[in-house]
Amino acid sequence: MKSNLNRIEKGASGDALFRIFGNAADKLIIAVLLGSICLFVLYPIICIFWQSFVGETGLTLGAYTDVLKGYRTSLWNSLFTGVLTAFFCTVLSVAAALVISSSRGWVKLLLMGVILITMVSPPFVSSLAYIQLYGRRGWITYRLLNISWDPYNCWGVIWMQSISFVPLNALFLSGILTKIDAASIQAARDLGAGPKHILLDVVLPLMRPGILVTLLLTFVRSIADFGTPTIIGGRFNTLASDIYMQLVGYSNPAKAAAMNVILLVPTLLAFWAYRVMLQKSDKLTSGKGKQDTVNLKLLRCGIVGWIALILSMLFFVMMVLQYVCIFSLGFMKVTKGSYSFSLQYLQQLLKYDTATIWRSVIYALIVSFVGTFFSMLFAYYTERRNVPGRRFFDFLVMMPYMIPGTCFGIGYILAFNKEPMKLTGTALIVMACMLFKQLPTTTKLCSAALTQVPRTLEWSARDLGGGRMAVLRDVILPSMRPAFLSCFAHNFSSSMTTAGAIIFLINPGKKLLVFQLFDKVYLGEYPMASLLATLIIVIVLAVEGLVWLISWKEGKRRVS
Amino acid sequence: MYLELSHLKKQFDGKDVVCDLSLTMEKGKLLCILGSSGCGKTTTLNMIGGFLTPDSGKILLDGQDLTRLPPEQRPVSTVFQSYGLFPHMTLLENVIYGLKFRGFSKADARKKGREYLDMVGLADRAGAFIHEISGGQQQRVALARALIVEPKLCLLDEPFCNLDAALRVKMREELKKLQRDLDMTMVFVTHDQEEAMILSDSMAIMEQGHLLQNDTPERIYRNPANDFVKRFLNLDDLIWTQDGKLMKIISHQM
Ligand SMILES: Nc1ncnc2c1ncn2[C@@H]1O[C@H](COP(=O)(O)OP(=O)(O)OP(=O)(O)O)[C@@H](O)[C@H]1O
Ligand SMILES: [Mg+2]
Repeated sequence: MKSNLNRIEKGASGDALFRIFGNAADKLIIAVLLGSICLFVLYPIICIFWQSFVGETGLTLGAYTDVLKGYRTSLWNSLFTGVLTAFFCTVLSVAAALVISSSRGWVKLLLMGVILITMVSPPFVSSLAYIQLYGRRGWITYRLLNISWDPYNCWGVIWMQSISFVPLNALFLSGILTKIDAASIQAARDLGAGPKHILLDVVLPLMRPGILVTLLLTFVRSIADFGTPTIIGGRFNTLASDIYMQLVGYSNPAKAAAMNVILLVPTLLAFWAYRVMLQKSDKLTSGKGKQDTVNLKLLRCGIVGWIALILSMLFFVMMVLQYVCIFSLGFMKVTKGSYSFSLQYLQQLLKYDTATIWRSVIYALIVSFVGTFFSMLFAYYTERRNVPGRRFFDFLVMMPYMIPGTCFGIGYILAFNKEPMKLTGTALIVMACMLFKQLPTTTKLCSAALTQVPRTLEWSARDLGGGRMAVLRDVILPSMRPAFLSCFAHNFSSSMTTAGAIIFLINPGKKLLVFQLFDKVYLGEYPMASLLATLIIVIVLAVEGLVWLISWKEGKRRVS
Repeated sequence: MYLELSHLKKQFDGKDVVCDLSLTMEKGKLLCILGSSGCGKTTTLNMIGGFLTPDSGKILLDGQDLTRLPPEQRPVSTVFQSYGLFPHMTLLENVIYGLKFRGFSKADARKKGREYLDMVGLADRAGAFIHEISGGQQQRVALARALIVEPKLCLLDEPFCNLDAALRVKMREELKKLQRDLDMTMVFVTHDQEEAMILSDSMAIMEQGHLLQNDTPERIYRNPANDFVKRFLNLDDLIWTQDGKLMKIISHQM
C-alpha cells in the first residue's frame, strides 16, 4: 500500500512538471531531432556534391573528367567484383539459409553460433585469415599442400567478399523463410508434392524477391568495401580502395569527392530497385499467426537440396577454419618454423594498448545509449505524430545506409573542418558519424516494434489524463523494451567494428581498436592482428551478453 | 464403412487434445464436425489429412489404412482455414498444381483447370494473382484446387470463417450443390451450429477431445445425447416441423 502511494505521488509531481513544460519539451525534442539530422546527414552529403564540382577556379566538371579518365580500370574492377561477388555470395547465402532453417537442435545452435560470431567480427578478419591460411606461407596452401602461389589477386578479393557477406544475408533470407505461410506448404504436400517439388515450386519462388534483394545489397556492399582489395588485392584496385589511397596518400578531397559521387550512382540505382523488390517480397510472404518454420528435409530434395547442403557445409567449414585460425594465432609464437603457445602478444597488447581498448569501449557505449534513445524518439515522432516533412526526414535518415561508409566519412571531413564548426579530430565527430551511420537500421527496428503497440493504448493514456509526454514516457518507451535490446546490440557491435565511415575522422593520437587491427594487418603483423580481432569479438559478445542478461532479469522481475 | 476413424488419440505436451475418438461415415455424404474453440477439431482433421500422426488409433478410407502415409500419398485433399494458396501463381496455376503429380499433360491440365474454375464461377479470372481477388473468390479457388485431383475425401477446416454473413449463406449453397453433383465425400469443420444443421448429412459433436454424439441432424435434434449437446446447439430455440422445416426462434426483448 505504502509503495503504491509513493508511486502515485511521484507520478503526480512528474506530471505537474510536464504540465508546465510539456508542450515546450515536446517541441524541443522535435527540433533537436530534426536539427541534428539536417546537420549530421544532410549537410555532409551536400558538402560532398558541392566539393566535387568546385575546382581551384570555380565550378567545373574537372574532377569528374579526371576520375573517369584516370580510373577507368578501377571503375571497371569495382563493377566486375561487385557483380561476381553478388552472384557467388547470394548462392551461398540461399544455401546457408535453407540449411539453417531446416536444421534442428544442436546443429542449428552451432550454425547460429557461427553466424553470431561473424556478425560481431571486425571487417578485416576474413582477409587476415585468408592470408594466414591460403597465403604464400599459408597453413593450408604452403604447410599442408606445399604449393606456392600468389594469393594477392582479384579472385581472392571476390572470394573473401563473398564469404564475409554471407552471414547477414543468410539471416535475412532465413527470416523470409519463417514468414512463408505454412498453409501453402501443407497445401502443396496435400496435393501430392514431395520435398523436391515443395522446394522448387513453392519455397524458392517465394524467396525470389528476397534473393534479388540479397543480390543488390551484396553488390552495393562489395563496391563500397575498401578493406579487402587494399589488403589482399595486390595490384588489383577498385574505386573504393583508390578513394582510400587518394585520401591517405595524396589527400585530394575534390577528386575523392567526385569518385564517391560516381560510386554513389550504381548504389542509388540498386537501392531504388531494392525498395521495389522488398515491397514485392512483403506481398508474397505475409505469414500470420503461429508459424512453424519451413520443415524441409534437404537430403530428400534431389540435386538442388544436395547442392545447397554441400555449399553451405563448405561455407561453414571455411568459417570454422577461419575462426580457429584467428583465435589461435594470437596465442602462438614461431621459433624456427614451428609454433608454440605464448602469451607474448597478449602481454604486449595489455602494456601498450589499454587506453585504446577503453576508448573503443567507451565510445561504443556512448553511441549505443544515445543512438538507441535517438532512434526510439525518431521512430515515435515519424510513425505516430505529424512531424512536418516526415517523408523527407525518413528518406534522409535512410541515406547513410545507402551511401558507402568512406563517402559518408569524407562528407564529415568536408563539412566540419572549418570554423565555426571545426570538429575534425574530436571525439564528438567520430561518435556522431557512428551514430548517424547506424541510425537507419535502429530506427527500422524501433518502427517495427512500434507497429506492435496499438494506437488505442496511446489514446487511453491521454484519455486517462496524461499529456503527450506521459504517452511517450509511460506507453511508448516501455513498450519498446525489446527493440531497445536489439538496437543496443546493433549499435554496440557496429561501433566496435565499423571502419569505413570513421577511418579518416580518427585522430591519429586517439586510435580505436579496429584501426589498430587494420594497421597491423596492413603491416603484416598477423599474430597481433589476430589477437586484436579476438579481443574485439570477446568484448562485443561480453557486453551484449551482459545487456541481454540485465534486461532478461528485469523482465522476470516485472512479471513476478 | 467408407471412412473409419478408430480410437484416435493425440497429445500435445502431455495434454490430451483428442481422446479415443471413433467415428464412421458413408461415401458421398457430408459430415460436419462441430465443437467449441480448442476442442480438437483441427487436430482431428490434420490427422486425417496426414499433417499430424496420431499417438495411437487407426484411419481407414475405402478399405485402405492411411494412418502412417505422408500427406502427399493420401487420396485426401484439404481446403485450409487460411486457404494456403500459392501467392506467386495465377488462379489457373494454383488450381492445376496437384495435377502435376498425377501424370497430366500441361494442355490437359489447363483444360481441366478451366472446367473447374468455371464450375466455381471464376473462369474469367484465370490469369489473376491471388492478391488481386476477394476473400470469397480465394475460398472458391481453394475449393477448386482441392476438388480437381478427384480425391476420395475432401477436408474443409472452417472454410467460410473469413467471409461475411451474406456470402457465407451463398457459398454454403454452392458447396452443397458441388458436393452432390460430384458425389464427393466431405468432412467439414465449423463452430457455426446453423451452418452444420443445414449442410450436413451427419454431425459429430466434440467437446475437449471427446466425441459426444455422431448422428443425422434430425436425430440429434430429437435425441440430444446430453445437456451439453442441447445447450451447445441451442435446441430450445429450434423447431423441426413435421414437414421437414427447421425454424429458429429469435427472441426480441422489448
Ligand atoms: N502444435 C501444437 N502444440 C501444442 N498444442 C497444440 C498444438 N496444436 C493445437 N494445440 C492445442 O490443442 C487443442 C486443440 O486444438 P485445435 O486446433 O484442434 O482446436 P480447434 O477445435 O480446431 O479450435 P478452433 O475452433 O479454435 O480452430 C488446443 O487447446 C490447442 O491449444
Ligand atoms: Mg481449428
